[in-house]
Amino acid sequence: MNGQLLEVRNLRTHLQADGREVRAVDDISFSIPKGETFCLVGESGSGKSVSALSVIRLLPYGIASHPSGEILFNGRDLLKLNDSEIRAVRGSQIAMIFQEPMTSLNPVLTIGEQITEALQLHHPEMSDAEAEQRTMMALEQVQIPYAFGRFRDYPHQLSGGQRQRVMIAMALACEPQLLIADEPTTALDVTVQAEILRLMRKLQDDTGMSMLFITHDFGVVSQMAQWVGVMQQGKIVEVGPCSEVLRKPRHPYTRQLLAALPENLAKPATVQSQHQAEQSSIDQTPLLQIRNLKVWFPIKKGLLRRIVDYVRAVDEVSLDIPQGQIVALVGESGCGKTTLGRAVLQLEKPTSGSIQLQGQELTGLSARELRPLRRKMQIAFQDPQSSLNPRLLIETTLTEPMKVHGIGSNHEQRIELAGRLLENVQLKRDFLWRYPHEFSGGQRQRIGLARALTLNPEFIVCDEITSALDVSVQAEILQLLLSIRQQRNLTLLFITHNIGVVEYLSDRTVVMYKGKIVEQGATAQICGHPQHPYTQKLLEAVPRLLL
Amino acid sequence: MTEHAVSRESFSARIWRKTLEGVGVKVGLAWVGLLVFAAVFAPFLANSMPLMMSKDGVISAPVLQYLSVEDTWILATFFIALAVYRLRLGAAKRILLFLLGSVVAAVLVNLFVKPPVLVIYDDFRSAAYADVDWRIMPPIPYAPTDYLRDLGSKGLEAPFITEGHTHLMGTEENGADVLSRMIHACRISLSIGLIASGIALLIGVVVGGLMGYFSGIVDMLGMRLVEIFEDIPTLFLLLTFVAFFGRSLYMMMVIIGVTSWSGYARYVRTEFLKLRKQDYVQAAVASGLPLTSILFRHMLPNGVAPLLVAVSFGVAGAILSEATLSFLGLGVVDAPSWGQMLDQAVKSSTFNWWMAVFPGGAIFMTVFAYNLIGEAFRDAIDPQLSRKAGVNT
Repeated sequence: MNGQLLEVRNLRTHLQADGREVRAVDDISFSIPKGETFCLVGESGSGKSVSALSVIRLLPYGIASHPSGEILFNGRDLLKLNDSEIRAVRGSQIAMIFQEPMTSLNPVLTIGEQITEALQLHHPEMSDAEAEQRTMMALEQVQIPYAFGRFRDYPHQLSGGQRQRVMIAMALACEPQLLIADEPTTALDVTVQAEILRLMRKLQDDTGMSMLFITHDFGVVSQMAQWVGVMQQGKIVEVGPCSEVLRKPRHPYTRQLLAALPENLAKPATVQSQHQAEQSSIDQTPLLQIRNLKVWFPIKKGLLRRIVDYVRAVDEVSLDIPQGQIVALVGESGCGKTTLGRAVLQLEKPTSGSIQLQGQELTGLSARELRPLRRKMQIAFQDPQSSLNPRLLIETTLTEPMKVHGIGSNHEQRIELAGRLLENVQLKRDFLWRYPHEFSGGQRQRIGLARALTLNPEFIVCDEITSALDVSVQAEILQLLLSIRQQRNLTLLFITHNIGVVEYLSDRTVVMYKGKIVEQGATAQICGHPQHPYTQKLLEAVPRLLL
Repeated sequence: MTEHAVSRESFSARIWRKTLEGVGVKVGLAWVGLLVFAAVFAPFLANSMPLMMSKDGVISAPVLQYLSVEDTWILATFFIALAVYRLRLGAAKRILLFLLGSVVAAVLVNLFVKPPVLVIYDDFRSAAYADVDWRIMPPIPYAPTDYLRDLGSKGLEAPFITEGHTHLMGTEENGADVLSRMIHACRISLSIGLIASGIALLIGVVVGGLMGYFSGIVDMLGMRLVEIFEDIPTLFLLLTFVAFFGRSLYMMMVIIGVTSWSGYARYVRTEFLKLRKQDYVQAAVASGLPLTSILFRHMLPNGVAPLLVAVSFGVAGAILSEATLSFLGLGVVDAPSWGQMLDQAVKSSTFNWWMAVFPGGAIFMTVFAYNLIGEAFRDAIDPQLSRKAGVNT
């Protein structure tokens, strides 16, 4: 036993799906010492979440089976326990927190009620007053401000970070020995993520619990873990102490993952000479000029739908985007960066202000007047699921805009052009004759890029195009983007929240906070010497691989 | 794990495959198919005149001579539909071509088909038609309005009891064969279901689509309009119109259609509100595509599936409305209809089971069949159900 709290030996988990058996977890072994953290890291579909759910036996009945393996928790094999025995372990000795703070709390109960219920379930002898006392302590423990007043709040009254704190408070109320955290910070902004990670480390020091931490982010791993297991297709390919695995990776897959991180990607030679490019671009007029742009959404109340206030999504923003540069727009969720991108393309009507593309005013134009200008500016989206029309062949998606704008003289010529575009984004030409559901997420993002390129635009807004992708796919897309930019002398407005991507890709960086631009300048300067306090806080919060 | 376990079928092909998986939907489609067959070929299935005969060496087809304008048009439309279905064209083009073809057929038929004005069924049993070399009769040798006076029919006779001639489902109060009337009544049930729903669908899609896409003030006015139409009691409106303007099948179709579109409009509106924010619609806007393409190519096909579910239930509802009206004695006067037969069953002083069981069963089966189809369709497009076994790995 020698101090190991959890030992997983040769665990296999098979899942039944559509009559096929999928080996989601394939013969994995690891152990977690008391008071330490074990991180399972891997790309989507590698089986890390299924491993965690296997440990706490939360996989759906009848679908999951364990052909072999044992899960020793304090020397007891969890796989051999019956339902009532496992229920006694769950919650009181092993607790779990999930990724999505918006859906993991019950919206019709107050947070106090939810924590008290969990407490009294495992300690039936506890009186109401006592349970309330303990709940209050738990809320204070996770550093929720004014915990006393928050007891009777409903989940919707809390922010995402606070909800995740409540989830942690609920998990810790019964003082478990093991906490399983399944991507607990993935849905949060970096600044909030930094706070939650700090809180979890502090709680671990205070209570001496062990953690099984699941993530895809190596930065988070380096901050949290003593032990790391790297998963690939249901197998743990490498396991060891954190510093050793991250610094001297032995398995090629681990090396490949680490190399794909944007901060480790080799920059192409052209970006090195970025300084000269910037010098020359200052002289000419910028491609896009935004002046005092406001996008306000009215809040209407009452019988007569009177406008009582506005949501100031974009507030008095002025910005120049020089020809041929990649401008990164950074900020946390809800800061208005997406709205700004859409307002530039006239997908959102600005409340006031001016947007000029090559000296031509875009605001106030009718749909007809705007159509010829649409050729010059395009957009690529975040979500690979919804960015392509599921009912249309890729061929139709690509050729229809060409037809409308009179590119190519006949259909054959347009198909030829579309095929060339697909080759441009490193896909096969005959993918033209397929439907979107036949492609993986990374391939769909490439097709999305190809669609943005169909009209031969000068300017593309990329709205978080890599944030739904795994790191290795993200690396490929970023490299593709740089090579296309060079071929076509494209100007990009790259909206993202990932600082690593910003540093790799962009020439200039613009930081947005609560609808306003707080800082802008050359990327190296912003990332190296941030001036504004918010930028400093943002950069500090980024979990970096500490090597 | 397989890299690409995906098939090459299109979105609509996948929906169709999933819809057709169950047993219930096959039963439903088989019944509707039977109705269509009966409705189209009714004059050849149940008629008093021979399909073909040879007299004194001259071969003739009396059925074809007596084919009415309506019969010919229905036949023509059916074959146009078959031909268009075989063409390799887009769905919208096919529908347009079909509608065009059926209108042209209607004009041509009205110009050129001149059937005899007066049909005396007794003649077909006289020597002129009976005393021939050979003749082929339809499977049911009685027309729906052939009251068999020459045979001395007293009406309301149970199946198989009449001597000399068999009536598989008995006779109704005027002495006509019930099975023959059942077959010809398929037309009313089918056409009222499809045309009334078609009218409702057209209005619903246009109003709902405009509300969903433009939202704002258009949406607000549209929703008020929807609420107004939802408050109109269809049955009482029908009764009022029948009282004022007399009985007409086409008026019924229009009234049922005009009062039942509000549900469809709501469906389309919700779908469009959702689709408007989808990235591919935004990309279409950003590419400067014209509004018609955005609405009909990028939005409507993606939002049409829940609508079709509603339509299959709506067709059943329209059939019931017509049956109710006929049952109340306010239906079409001389054309046979299932509801009108039920009415006879109730009004008669004695209980004639065959007058209640057969038309009642047909109405029940038809409504049931459309519901089965609608339900299978709903299951096929419901992503929740299709993902039930899929654990995200």
